[in-house]
Parts: sequence; structure tokens; C-alpha cells
Amino acid sequence: MSETGHLDHPEDITAFYQPVMARVITKQRLTEMMVLLRLQLDSAEPLDHNPGEFLQISLPGYGEAPISFCSSPTQTKSFELCVAAVGNLSEAMHDLRPGDFLGVRGPYGHGFPIEEMRDRDILCVAGGIGLAPLRSLIKYVADRRPEFERMVLVYGARMPDEQLFKDDLDVWDAREDFETLYTVDEPDDQWTGRTGVVTEPLREEVQINPERTTAVVVGPPVMYRFVAAELLEKGMSEENILFSLERRFKCGMGKCGHCQLNDLYVCQDGPVFRYTDLIGRSEAIEVWAPEDERE
Amino acid sequence: MPTEVVMTSKAVDRFVTRLIEEGPVMGPRERRKQPGFAKFDWIESADELMLQYTTTTVPPKKAFFPPRQPLFEFELTVPPKITPLEEATPFTLVGVHTCDLAGLNMLDDAYAKEPAEAVWPAARARARIIGVDCMPDEYCFCFDTCAGREGCDLFFTPIEHGYLVEVITEAGEDMLRLSDVSRAREDDLNDARNFAAEKGQRITAGIRSSAGDFADILEEGTFEDLWREIAERCYSCGSCNTTCPTCFCFDINDEFDLGLTAGRRVRTWDSCQLQEFALVAGGHNFRRIRWQRVRHRWHRKFLYLYREFDHPYCTGCGRCSRACTADINIVDVSNEIIERARGSEQS
Repeated sequence: MSETGHLDHPEDITAFYQPVMARVITKQRLTEMMVLLRLQLDSAEPLDHNPGEFLQISLPGYGEAPISFCSSPTQTKSFELCVAAVGNLSEAMHDLRPGDFLGVRGPYGHGFPIEEMRDRDILCVAGGIGLAPLRSLIKYVADRRPEFERMVLVYGARMPDEQLFKDDLDVWDAREDFETLYTVDEPDDQWTGRTGVVTEPLREEVQINPERTTAVVVGPPVMYRFVAAELLEKGMSEENILFSLERRFKCGMGKCGHCQLNDLYVCQDGPVFRYTDLIGRSEAIEVWAPEDERE
Repeated sequence: MPTEVVMTSKAVDRFVTRLIEEGPVMGPRERRKQPGFAKFDWIESADELMLQYTTTTVPPKKAFFPPRQPLFEFELTVPPKITPLEEATPFTLVGVHTCDLAGLNMLDDAYAKEPAEAVWPAARARARIIGVDCMPDEYCFCFDTCAGREGCDLFFTPIEHGYLVEVITEAGEDMLRLSDVSRAREDDLNDARNFAAEKGQRITAGIRSSAGDFADILEEGTFEDLWREIAERCYSCGSCNTTCPTCFCFDINDEFDLGLTAGRRVRTWDSCQLQEFALVAGGHNFRRIRWQRVRHRWHRKFLYLYREFDHPYCTGCGRCSRACTADINIVDVSNEIIERARGSEQS
């Protein structure tokens, strides 16, 4: 304690669960449910995150929730978050306007193992809003393309209207050094692309060299085990299959207990895990059907 | 200054009075509606302190992390104004049993693990702690923690005419300037040794396995039948968590003042036994069924945290068993697991 009777704060006020303020630079509606916020810290400093990491986002009065970065750290002056309107906080975030403030804490967690992925083929499999966290990796690869070998993106959305980042999807599709396969479950009249769930083009159209490939899977919980089965079928080993999991973190620091998955804290040990890490852990609902549904 | 001195009962009263004159004092105080039972509360005069008491319902961790703890205040200005709550008043926590000292030490470790949080250690840094020895009841099984002194500054053991006081830290020695003490004689030391010996004999309950073996047993077996049997009795009320000195899970929520222009972010104790605890986006719940939550409690205390910190996150205080309206006893269940594991080994 200092002589004034005040506690000496460590430099990082976030250890006291206090957010720092970030300002909304732009806001873009992606779908009916999703908006994209581009933000900047008041200090204008980069957050220095790795693809796959997350922030604890808060609005005073509405509370706090984890949201993954959807921008690459190669974009240094600002960062982006994709927000689904699913609760009080996220709905309030949908009402934010450029110039408004929100609180951030982090970055937290362990993201994609970029060092290990260099010089390898990258196979991204995204389902629904799982494209948002994956976008931090895809944009990173796009900006540092020579450091990686093949870049394959398989993306499935429920409906054409629910496709996220349409501009990005077009840009990636047009790149000679990207292989993209987009599909929707429920096509509308204008849709001319693939139909069906994400495992179908993955099974039928994607040829990989399993030795050289790292697969990255992000989507709704039910998607993971089916995608994993396809990847194993292609000869991949479990340790080269990466999953990013979603849990309801309250602290982001491995303290609050909410994200505990057997002996792992998803917020600290993850949110990116190897398939190998999840096999044998009964509470990985992405890998196993929940126990009560197994009988 | 010798490491052991004697404080008569009257001297203890004067000592506590002087502590109160110096700053806030929290300690066991007799419950007004439950004579004979104590709870940790602020002590305003020495006669309120009930130094010889049986285990409180709520452990003294609440001195540092109350059930509802404001983290900071906010005002809805542009930009929003965040005001840290810098509580800096030093206080003294008196009358902590050895099991509860162990609980505080375990929470020190849990919150300090990188990335460390700062709220708990800031509260801990404000307090001096005086431990006191106790006589166990039938729920106590504090074999591993019953003789611990770590975490307190002074430690009191009841003797014939007062207390034998062990000086544990410099802060403890410094506190003794507020007190009249006398040199401990051989009789006093004998009294204290006899007290400790009787305490040891009175602990009859116990988990019949080493902590390491119990962790292995939980890791290797499934025991789903047993978890289901216990879950049929469990109400998922969370009393076992909220009375536990080593439970440290929490929730964080915002509260508005009535004016709706300002409020505070508050963290509250949470319980892994409540159904919503493991709810995730999209309505998935990876511990939806009660037996999964019952199992989680045992796994977390005796397996996961044992592996993480090298000791189980259980002090043997018996609070969860006392608090359980369904009479789910942590010792009995643990021993049943051990027995079934050993039974299946033999067959």
C-alpha cells in the first residue's frame, strides 16, 4: 500500500477486471443477426493479439462477454469484432454508432499455433458464425501469403442471407492462391453455388496431402465431430486438426470456473485445441455427443 | 521475543479491545438467533468475540471475497467513466481455524496463478490474521490441515488460564505490543500439546486413501452408477459450494443505480451445481444432467485442482456435509468411491 492509503495498482488494471475504453470507428451490418464493429483503443495502441484469441467486451450497465477477434494482427491501427445479437449486451452493441465507446479486457487465451502452421497447407472449415474467429487467421494468411503453402477455405452457411463477410468471401474467391468452397444448406432463388452441409464439399471436392496439412475447424458444436470424421477419412492425424471452442467465460483468466472442460480451462488452455486434446475428455460436447444424449 | 507466550483470558479481552481501537476487526461472533453457534462478522467490542466455536456455516474467505463484491463503479458519461473501488483500510481477522487458514492459502494460489487476478491479493494485503485451535465435531476430517500455521500472524491454542500464543510472523510480533503477555511455562506448553493431541484423537472421520491415490481412482474409474445414485438425492442447491472455503468460482454482472446513469460491476459467488453454470451459446449445456455436476464437484476438488496445485482443494472442514439438506456427506461418498474402486480391482 502506498502512503496515501490507496492501493498501488499494477500496470494492468484488467487484473482488477477493469476494462480499457475502445472507440467504434465503423459499424457495418453483415446479416440480420450480425454486425461488424471496427474499433480503436483510446490510446490508439495495437492490442497485439494472435489470431484465435478473444477479448472480454463490456458496456457499462449491460455486462461483459467474450468475443473473438475477427481481424488479423497485421491490421495494427484498429481491430474488428463480429457481434451476434443474442442477448442484452450484444443487442446493445448492435445499437452502437461510430464514436461510441465500449470496454475491452484482454486479449486472452491461446489462439492458432501460427509458428507451427508456417510452411504447411492450411485447411479452414467454417460453419455459420464460426467464420468470424477464423477470419482473423484467414486474413493473417492472406497478408503473409508466402509464409504458408496451400490455403483452402470450406465455408457453410445456413442460407445465402446468413453468409458473413460477403466482400471478403469474394476477394478470397478471386485470389489465385486461395481455394474456396462455399455452400449453403437452404438455397434461395438467386443462389447458384453449392448446396448442402459443409462436410459434403469437404468430402467430395477437397483433396489434401494429410502429412502437410493443418486443419482448422470453427462452427456450431454439432459440426465438429462430423468434420473431424471427414478429415480422419482423408488420412489426417488428430494432432493436426484444430478446433476453436466457445464457452461462456466470465473472467478470461482461468478463475471463474465457467469454461472448465474436464481439467482444462477453455479460456486459458484454449480456446484453440488440438483434436488430440479433446478426445478422452467427456465434456467436450464438440467431440462427443453430450453424455446425456449418448445412451 | 520468544516464539511462544501466554495471554490470559482477561489479557485477550484487552488485546481485542486495542485491536478494535486500531482498526476494524472481524471474527467469530455468536449468532443472535442461534446461541452457541458463531459466524464471521465485524466485532465491535471484545465480549462479542467467540474465540472457541465450532465451524461457522460460511468460511472466513468472505472477509476478502464477500458473496457480493463490487469491482468498480461506472457512470454513463461519454466516454464512460470507470472508478476503481480502492478499499484500503487495514483490518484484523481474528479466530481462524486451521482448516480455514488452509482454505485461504489455497485461494491465494488459485487467484495468483498466471494470469493472476489482483482483487483477492489486494484484499489479503489489508489484513492481519490470528488463528485459533479448535475441537472437531463429527463432520471434521482435517487430518492434513489440523496442525497448519501457514497464513496467520499469531496462533492461539486454548490452555487452562487463557491461550498459548505462537508468534508466526513479524506482523504478529508487532501486534503483541498491544497486549500483556507472559513467558510460557512448561505447564502451558503441556496444556497446548494436550489440546493438539486431543484434537487429533477426536477427528474420527476421514477419506480412506491418500490424496494421490484418490485422484488416480477418480481419473481411472467412471463411477457413473454412484454419481447417478447421489444425484437422485441432490437438489442442486449449491450449498456445498457456497459454504466451501476452497470454492472460488464466480459470476460477474452489472448493476444500475435507480437513476440509471451509474452503477457498478459486481462479482458474486457462483456454484457449479446450478444447472445454468455450464450453459453455453446456442443453449448447449455440457453438464446439463445433475449427476454430471455432482461428479464435477468431486473431480474438481480431488482430481483437477489436485493435479494443478499438488494438493486436493478440500480442507476437511466438513461444511459441505453439514450444509447438505440431502445428507450427502463428502467423506462417505469419497469412501464409497474408494471402496468400489478397490472392490472392482479385487473381483
